[in-house]
Amino acid sequence: MAIGTLDRAASQNRWRHRALEEKALIGFGFLTLALILPPWPGAVLVTLAVLGFTFLGARVPVRLWLATAALPFGFLMSGTLMLVVTVGPNGLAFAPEGAVQAAGLVARAMAATFCLLFIAMTTPTADIFGGLRRLKVPLELVELALLTYRFVFLITDEAAAMTAAQRARLGHSSRRRWLRSTAMVIANLLPRALARAQRTEAGLAARGWQGEMRVLTRQVPVCNGMLALVVLTLVVVAVAGSML
Amino acid sequence: MHIMEGYLPASHALGWTIAAAPFVLAGTARIRGIIREKPEARLTLAASGAFAFVLSALKIPSVTGSCSHPTGTGLGAIVFGPSVMAVLGLIVLLFQALLLAHGGITTLGANTFSMAIVGPWVAFGIWKLAGRLGMPFAVAVFLAASLGDLATYVFTSLQLALAYPDPVSGFVGAAAKFAGIFAITQLPLAIAEGLLTVVVMEALSGKIRDEDRVATLAGEGK
Repeated sequence: MAIGTLDRAASQNRWRHRALEEKALIGFGFLTLALILPPWPGAVLVTLAVLGFTFLGARVPVRLWLATAALPFGFLMSGTLMLVVTVGPNGLAFAPEGAVQAAGLVARAMAATFCLLFIAMTTPTADIFGGLRRLKVPLELVELALLTYRFVFLITDEAAAMTAAQRARLGHSSRRRWLRSTAMVIANLLPRALARAQRTEAGLAARGWQGEMRVLTRQVPVCNGMLALVVLTLVVVAVAGSML
Repeated sequence: MHIMEGYLPASHALGWTIAAAPFVLAGTARIRGIIREKPEARLTLAASGAFAFVLSALKIPSVTGSCSHPTGTGLGAIVFGPSVMAVLGLIVLLFQALLLAHGGITTLGANTFSMAIVGPWVAFGIWKLAGRLGMPFAVAVFLAASLGDLATYVFTSLQLALAYPDPVSGFVGAAAKFAGIFAITQLPLAIAEGLLTVVVMEALSGKIRDEDRVATLAGEGK
């Protein structure tokens, strides 16, 4: 998946201009519930609720969502496989109680991943860092992250152009050459990135930059009805998840 | 190797976040100092962070037939120094979670600890040690980068084993299981990354016109 895909989807999302507080409460609220509630039925309820907000509310494109949700499966499968087997004095053996644990783990990890996807596909990264600034996260970190974000796409384009040029010249024709080509891209990318930083710095210094990126952000008022709906869903899931 | 979102229990997620915090705060303090002295370093740091993130979008061939991506852990530790890498690594991991759905928010602390703290410190230590032992440049770089990767992967296996000990053989058995299954992808990656970093460092030396700027970040500047 290209680096900008999810961020672009977030910027074009129907809920792009909903208040950050509402989206954060959905994403992080359910993420917390997924982690602290017992997987049965907690994770299942969290999954249902988050998928409801993702598809019925924010109308995230299903195909892109599926392609993204499939990515962590390699890790999930190999990691979970290890819980189903046990290492004893006689070597590997099937662990019956491990299967139950593994199923619970899959349910929880998937529910949590769906919460992450909700945030990633409804909220552009720059908005999230804007929110962190309000949360008193050290300003240096937030500013650095925002500047980094702005550089990411420029440097990605540069790396993509170099890689395309190498491919066109058989730069990936053998494993050895491929590794060498990638190394050359990296070795050329770092000085270019630093030179770009230097040019940007000179340009900003000439305009009296004081080290803070002040950009206009659209202040969206929190919708009380929406907030009530989210809190209600959270409470219902929390109560049902811990009682059932 | 990223631990996916929701894979660690809440107590472990919290524990690793608390464990990683002092390193990140120390790195932040260091960055604050660098920026106070040289305000222009702010953009250099940001570009370096973006560079580290873009590395994970590049593909390198892996011995098992699939392809993988470099982690940049060793390279970053050698060029920028490990304390700054803790912060850059945290930012890169956060971007990987938010832009690529790779890793996660609740596992950010654990991933930061293995990939932005353990890996860079091991790589940096080996780089310094190899230099002191008088090893050739290429050997030192190869060892730093590949052992940095290996340290990250072994540490991640330990984190997973701590969270999910084996019912029969406990923590040790679980560590062997996780290390075993992930070795298939991680061992070839460590070797590939070691070779890659050697070529990168050799091509880089003498190429950066203002080596001072990079040296400043590594804490070795004037």
